[in-house]
Amino acid sequence: MEKKFIKGCEAIAEAAVRGGCRFFAGYPITPQNEIPEYLSWRLPEVGGAFVQGESEVASVNMVYGAASTGTRAMTSSSGPGISLKAEGISYLAAAQLPALIVNISRGGPGLGSIQPAQSDYLQATKALGHGGFHAMVFAPATLQEAVDLTYNAFEYAERDRGPVMILMDGCLGAIMEEVELPPMKEVTKEGTSSWNLSREGCPNRPPRCVTPILPELALENLNRMKGNLYKKWQEEDVKVEHFMLDDAEFVVVAYGIAARVAKEAVIELRAKGVKIGMIRPITIYPFPRKSLSELDYNKVKAIIDIEMTIPAQMRDDIELPVQGRCPVYEYGRSGGVLLDDDGVYQAIEKIVKECD
Amino acid sequence: MAEYTRPHSLMPTPTGYCPGCLHPLATKLVAEAIEELGQNDNALNVISVGCSALNFFSWRGDMIGAAHGRAPAVATGIKRSQPDRLVFTYQGDGDLAAIGFAEIMSAANRGENFTVVFANNQTYGMTGGQMAPTTLIGQKTTTTRYGRDPKTTGYPLKMCELISTLEAPVFVARYALNSPKGVLDARKGIKKAFRMQLEGKGFTFIELLTNCPTNWGLAPLDTLEYMNTNTIPYFKPGVYKDVEAAK
Amino acid sequence: MKKSFIFSGSGGQGIMSAGIMLAHTAIDMHKHSTYLPEYGPEQRGGSAKCTVVISDDEIVSPLPKKCDNLIVMNEQAYKKHQSCLKAGGLLLINSSLVKAENVRTDVKVIAADVDDIALELGNVKAANIILIGILIGATGIVSKDIFAQSLEEKFKNKKPEILQLNMAALERGIEIGKKHAK
Repeated sequence: MEKKFIKGCEAIAEAAVRGGCRFFAGYPITPQNEIPEYLSWRLPEVGGAFVQGESEVASVNMVYGAASTGTRAMTSSSGPGISLKAEGISYLAAAQLPALIVNISRGGPGLGSIQPAQSDYLQATKALGHGGFHAMVFAPATLQEAVDLTYNAFEYAERDRGPVMILMDGCLGAIMEEVELPPMKEVTKEGTSSWNLSREGCPNRPPRCVTPILPELALENLNRMKGNLYKKWQEEDVKVEHFMLDDAEFVVVAYGIAARVAKEAVIELRAKGVKIGMIRPITIYPFPRKSLSELDYNKVKAIIDIEMTIPAQMRDDIELPVQGRCPVYEYGRSGGVLLDDDGVYQAIEKIVKECD
Repeated sequence: MAEYTRPHSLMPTPTGYCPGCLHPLATKLVAEAIEELGQNDNALNVISVGCSALNFFSWRGDMIGAAHGRAPAVATGIKRSQPDRLVFTYQGDGDLAAIGFAEIMSAANRGENFTVVFANNQTYGMTGGQMAPTTLIGQKTTTTRYGRDPKTTGYPLKMCELISTLEAPVFVARYALNSPKGVLDARKGIKKAFRMQLEGKGFTFIELLTNCPTNWGLAPLDTLEYMNTNTIPYFKPGVYKDVEAAK
Repeated sequence: MKKSFIFSGSGGQGIMSAGIMLAHTAIDMHKHSTYLPEYGPEQRGGSAKCTVVISDDEIVSPLPKKCDNLIVMNEQAYKKHQSCLKAGGLLLINSSLVKAENVRTDVKVIAADVDDIALELGNVKAANIILIGILIGATGIVSKDIFAQSLEEKFKNKKPEILQLNMAALERGIEIGKKHAK
């Protein structure tokens, strides 16, 4: 394993290359520019292609084209750009094309701010585009986790034939940490050979059609299949970290950068004797519902949702499995104002005192 | 005596186009060029949105449906991943010159090594005959009931003229499909564009002037005459750029 | 051991590279470290700030509200970030540019004319290295030798005078820092 002190965006870019990514198209937007900048020289080194698209819309559609040939393809952006990519992401879902979409999120709505924020949870988990589909969304909290999740993202995308998202805020995109980089994967087009449009196999296979438009019954069947897939994700693919939950009376729920800040507070409060633990969703879609539904509500006095956005966007996903069995509180910062250790600690401590 | 047969890439089924429409003729010319170049298994058709999407039902060969206007972006992704394939987009005027204007100009400017076949019938056929970026001045459509007025809607976009100002494209030409001569010239032009692509020369652009009897509200034969008196004087057929001829 | 640092000033003062070099040196010493930059929208001359955490253990949160060491390179940064320093922390001031009125009394202060010293050594750009030298001299947070190695690595493709200048800056900084040690 190769260790490297590296920036978040570059870590993701390198992990994608090592995970088999051979095509990238994207458009400049802060705070994710290091991803295209890195891949612009790195992909040609491994025989891949980099295109700086004329727009976010064009870029995601280039990914759609590359993915159709069985090439592992990705794009990246930040909130405003992901909104523009919504069209292409929906088409990827419809045409059942695997692709990796990275969102290094910033303050929103609108042009918002270029500073970090977790402002795109709802967009990522509920509606990445029109038509009512979901993508698996991974939300790493450390750069090592970002590397590991990105490295394996294409396997999920190809297994389920659809887009997969890595959602990370601008803080983790800009931060430098030491990571272990996994080895370069040997990638063939075998995983996609049953449907791809690559030249291999012609003329021995019949012609193929990759289509984002279907007759109504076929579309209904596709959607039914997707519905079943999402249920299966909920059963089999949830990734979550449980921290000090066993005897917890207070449970913090946080993902990504917010979870790191919150964990610091949990450790500090534990040291002071507060029975507090944390649930950290690593997949925010599928959301770890079971972790919340199976808590012992004879013990748990409150759930505290910590996010770097206002109002908290994960709250509905938390309240659904909690089913009113205890109150749910929220604390956050927004607009590009960062969460910090003291602020989160004090907010949690105040809630704990109110409940006791 | 030569036998006149259906080119391989066309399915032996009805095309779905309206009677008198020149779209199926354009599609057939593309299929013939592919066959003559021995590319039946290698061609990849990037289908766009609009009447051109009827290609889904009549085309035999690898194909992919692109979002409205995005065919040149999709083709870029395909060609960069599969440089040996014969890749072409087949786009109408609303798709190419309005919603997909950024994509077509940028792909042309990058000199992407694929071919664009642009069917220009001056209307949005599939959605019911709204004004297109190529609709002629004074032409009546469902969104210009009294005829296109340049004061509020500007002028018809001349795509060949625009694209031929760019450095990168290697072959840019316009043909009118309302006469046998135009059809024969178009056939040669399409084949030349495909050949240049296979030789790795760069971006090639073929504009085909077509008609829309249904939305123009004219009998098929009358549309051909209408093209002579209205369309062709504005959209002049010809080769706008040819790096091979320039040498 | 876990220590946090905030470097602040304006773009072009070497704030970010000082932070990266310090964090990288800690990594080279097999410690854990995080470096987090914060930029304004300007490409040049805007405010610049970065936070570095160095720890023997894995770093949970990279976002401390208050730091153990605050380095301020200009007046604006001094005013903006003074409250971010923990009581008992170290405030390192570039007194060439910072008037530093109403300095907190609950912190340790080192004021040095690092811009002037850097100019005297040959180039104002070396001011950030003097600051790191002071930090090393005063706190021993990272090894002088390993930091010197990272300077050699950084400037190996530049003219030898540039490395010499930075090495001299490091030495001067350490000298100043040592006077304030403990």
